[in-house]
Amino acid sequence: MLVLTRKVGEEIYIGDRICIKVIEITGSKVRLGIDAPASLRIYREEVLAKVKDENRFAAEWELADFRRAVEQISKDSRE
Amino acid sequence: MNVHVMTTRFGAVEIDDDRIIEMPDGMAGFTEQRFILLSPDNNGRFFWLQSVDNPELAFVVTDPTAFAPGYEVTLTPDEYDRLGLDPESAEVILLTVTTISRETGEYTINLLGPIVVNPAKMTAKQIVLENGKYEIRYPLFTSPAPEPSRKKEEVRPAAASLRKITTIYSKL
Repeated sequence: MLVLTRKVGEEIYIGDRICIKVIEITGSKVRLGIDAPASLRIYREEVLAKVKDENRFAAEWELADFRRAVEQISKDSRE
Repeated sequence: MNVHVMTTRFGAVEIDDDRIIEMPDGMAGFTEQRFILLSPDNNGRFFWLQSVDNPELAFVVTDPTAFAPGYEVTLTPDEYDRLGLDPESAEVILLTVTTISRETGEYTINLLGPIVVNPAKMTAKQIVLENGKYEIRYPLFTSPAPEPSRKKEEVRPAAASLRKITTIYSKL
């Protein structure tokens, strides 16, 4: 991993289209400004971690759960 | 060519290999890259996304647009490439992972991490949406959830279950 030291107001370029700027540092928190093409997905690491967790959790279905879901959906559509 | 896919829930499933969906990036948190879609009889809404290489790994997926009106996913150029989609004439199928809450037994769908399938190339990718617009646990039903049951079911023998399973490839 490339490690760089930056002060508030200083920037880092990744390629020529992605710019990350240190906006503010308070205690252990850093606020970053990011300029990047709209075609890039940018998200906090926690979002990806949440989706991974949800996938792991979702992989626990048994056949009985599935059957109940099917029953409930037909009940829902009758209502 | 027909291949046999071993599964813990359905026994051995025989399937044409052109129905295998390639997911080069896998599902988030998992390394498996090949899946098939299975649909039990008498059910139009839920499908099993079953791993070809890991008998235990299967997700229950459904079409999010049937439950979340106005649900939209915009793909990036990189995702078009990854899926082998033609931006001019792309047709995709959207699926979402369905979850049951351990606490309440409620069913929810993950609108934050949809699966986009390119039926023409049989490729798929799970996309993580960043904009905070969609929930990771969007409730599926309006009526109260039935009693949750987490007990493990017996796996049905392959011969019996094979007849019960059809793929939705024709619908793709």
